[in-house]
Amino acid sequence: MMRLDHLPNQRPDEHVILFLRRQWFALLTIATAVILLNGVPILLGWFYLDQTQTLFSRPIIGPALAIVASMYFLSIWLFAFLEVTDYYLDTWIVTNERIINIEQEGLFNRTASELDLAAVQDVTAEIRGFLQTVFTYGNVFVQTAGERERFHFKNIDNPEQVKEKINALVEEDKRRLSAMGAGGRGKIKSVIK
Amino acid sequence: MPFDLPQISIPIGVLLFVFAAYMVFYVLYSLFNIYHLIRYGVYGFGLYVLVTVFTGGTIILVSASIFFLMEYDWTLPISFQNTADFYNNDLFPRL
Repeated sequence: MMRLDHLPNQRPDEHVILFLRRQWFALLTIATAVILLNGVPILLGWFYLDQTQTLFSRPIIGPALAIVASMYFLSIWLFAFLEVTDYYLDTWIVTNERIINIEQEGLFNRTASELDLAAVQDVTAEIRGFLQTVFTYGNVFVQTAGERERFHFKNIDNPEQVKEKINALVEEDKRRLSAMGAGGRGKIKSVIK
Repeated sequence: MPFDLPQISIPIGVLLFVFAAYMVFYVLYSLFNIYHLIRYGVYGFGLYVLVTVFTGGTIILVSASIFFLMEYDWTLPISFQNTADFYNNDLFPRL
């Protein structure tokens, strides 16, 4: 279990500035899918109540349908839990010294990487489409100096504010390093897959 | 003794093996997912809420399924009588 006050490889004066997950709209999408997948068969069963009761009371088809129905509703619950877990474990942590990117892809793939703020060359915020504009969520891309890789904060809340905050932290970190005479530090530190 | 399809008697309880196999998969997958959450999740109230809600929901759904399935008589045999007639008369008529 990770603690925000005790990050992996935490540096002496390091503290968390931003802790980001995808916006709540991602959870709304999961909830809508679950409601539809549960609601449609229940409504159909209720609408055609006589036929449904007849079908479920037949000697062989009835028990077989009962098993299929049980497996169907349990599968939806499991699917919802997997999606919420994926949402919950996808996190981006911005500290006063680095950015940590943790992404869960399905149940068996996990990527954790970090980069020093001093290595950040460009930060881009992107809001595209009607929904992202109305609910003010979108993507932030963090491009590192001299590296092809870039961090992608997906569907986060208020991407413009996050971009401004990261830019301010990068400037602050660069000033701090210049004062210490330790320029040139940076690059993506580690990638664990 | 000659082979006679209508005399074969399989209780519909065999369908419960399919359900049991599914439940094994469900439990293993759920436990692995909970382990993932506890191992990699961020310490906080949300983590406990998530695990508790999922576990609670699973207990309710599994209990409802078991009560629903208990209403049936699983000892009834699956009849092949009509199936055999169907094959004999409609698909493979006597020459």
